Amino acid sequence: MTRPVFINKTALLCARGNSPATVASALWNGECGAGQRKLGERAFPYFGLPLNEVDWLLRAEQAIRQVTGQLGPLPPEAPLFIASSSFQIGHFEQLGAPFDLPVANAAFSRKISEWLGLSGARTSFSNACTSGFSALDAARSLIAAGLIDDAIVLGVELANDSTLAGFAAMELLSRTAGRPFDARRDGLVLGEAVAAVRLSAKPATWRVAGLRTGLDGYSTTGPNPDGCRIADVTVDCLNDAKLKSADIELIKLQAAGSPGTDLAEANALRSVFGQNMPPLLSLKPGLGHTLGASGLAELAALLACLDADKIPATAGFSKVDPEIALFPMVERSTEHIERALLNLIGFGGGLASLIVERHG
Amino acid sequence: MISLTTVLSQSFAPADLPAAVRAALGKPLRRAAPLTQLALVGALACLPVERRALPTTLLWQSTSGPRLETLTLLEEVCNGSAEPMPYDFLATQPAIAAAQIQTFLPGLQTAMHLPLDSEGVANWSLLLNLAIVWLKEGRCAQVLCAQLDHAADVASGHWLALSRGTLENSPACLQLADGTTSDALPDTPDFPARLAEWLAGHDGSTLSLHSPAAMKLTVEFTRL
Repeated sequence: MTRPVFINKTALLCARGNSPATVASALWNGECGAGQRKLGERAFPYFGLPLNEVDWLLRAEQAIRQVTGQLGPLPPEAPLFIASSSFQIGHFEQLGAPFDLPVANAAFSRKISEWLGLSGARTSFSNACTSGFSALDAARSLIAAGLIDDAIVLGVELANDSTLAGFAAMELLSRTAGRPFDARRDGLVLGEAVAAVRLSAKPATWRVAGLRTGLDGYSTTGPNPDGCRIADVTVDCLNDAKLKSADIELIKLQAAGSPGTDLAEANALRSVFGQNMPPLLSLKPGLGHTLGASGLAELAALLACLDADKIPATAGFSKVDPEIALFPMVERSTEHIERALLNLIGFGGGLASLIVERHG
Repeated sequence: MISLTTVLSQSFAPADLPAAVRAALGKPLRRAAPLTQLALVGALACLPVERRALPTTLLWQSTSGPRLETLTLLEEVCNGSAEPMPYDFLATQPAIAAAQIQTFLPGLQTAMHLPLDSEGVANWSLLLNLAIVWLKEGRCAQVLCAQLDHAADVASGHWLALSRGTLENSPACLQLADGTTSDALPDTPDFPARLAEWLAGHDGSTLSLHSPAAMKLTVEFTRL
């Protein structure tokens, strides 16, 4: 049995707003300001959530309740798929030594279930930046196969120093701003987000037409610059969707402003789309790179943009890199989009491509 | 038909893990966290050389995750005098394991890591359901399902390898089933060890695995 899988509802809380529609509106208006997060003597731009609570766990509960509240009433037995790269590490940073970590490393997911009053099956995913699409892939596969009918897929990435310090230690962070595909790009800017997607066999406006994940073991911190593995995943995704590259009308890039990863993504896109490159958009200059939540956060934001027929410009891009020789949209567009491709290229070798298509 | 091709359980004293890696590879694996080393020795033991280039998916779960490495990182970040060493951060990222073993399993196309949220309860049922669905779809030729854990005193790996079609010496085939149709085993981290015991014995021609944690997804094994 294989049946279509639809995106029935999306929800989002991030630096740009507290619903997909408000985030889309902020992006359309060109809002891209970031706050700051200090790490010892250094400070980095950072896209934090608009929440005042300082207790990490209470803040997490607020954020998650706020997002799932946007989905409407949830059946208690609804299967929950949780994606995160850091889970509750910020909570233990706040508690301090002796760091009483739970024996089961995703114990935070149990807490999330309790907060939401969900008693159904619960599964956690941690694949760095591609966690959200891994969770979506699993949920979609089970629905398509007729094994479940609905799923709530939740992406959670909340502030912590461990991730910031790790990325800083590897010199992956920009000290100023994310500049996707730009000649002056010098790293990514991290952020927080909680996002949710309700997947269902029940028809809705957007269908998951294709979804594939992949792996690039070239390096633990970045893909092969030639982009060949990324291109393979995109082609697999097109095949899954039974579409040709020419059918794609918009690409939501991974592009976060990383020197190596942006180049690899550009090379992959050139090999798949050739001279017929669709318009390119990066949302990370407005939302930050929200790691394990980024796939779901950017999906929710993008669908709200497409629902309004208002595609924002990509902030942070102004100077073409001759090596990349591709440029994201710098003007806003009111084009009506039927099919869009979303790319994720993860720290740790994870790759993912998703195609969404309007239904009916 | 979906075949079970390998059932494997491994256990190492943590200090012996690098030697196990050297024995498997003929050389050490540098800068590899224990979970990566476990993934490598298990995957190579599951797949003979001639099957390592076939399109492969790795689905792995863990109760411990990189717990010890996370404690080290927290100590450095919260109590250290300088920023953490890059390797200490990388060691807390379980997704990296798959990328690091891809060189030795060139067919490894994708991997998914599912951290577990409760002690003593696993999600083999979900891993096997996804494996069966994806093998039937033709996404890949074989799927490795694993539970990898390491603590201060022991590092363990439990593995099931699944393949599309029948291979010589496959001990069982498996399929999705509605509800419990035969003797059922609980979904625990060491399920492969229990399955191996059943395969070695002569009790019944079928065995089910179903989990309260996995959406009533039942998998039925049939002896071949």
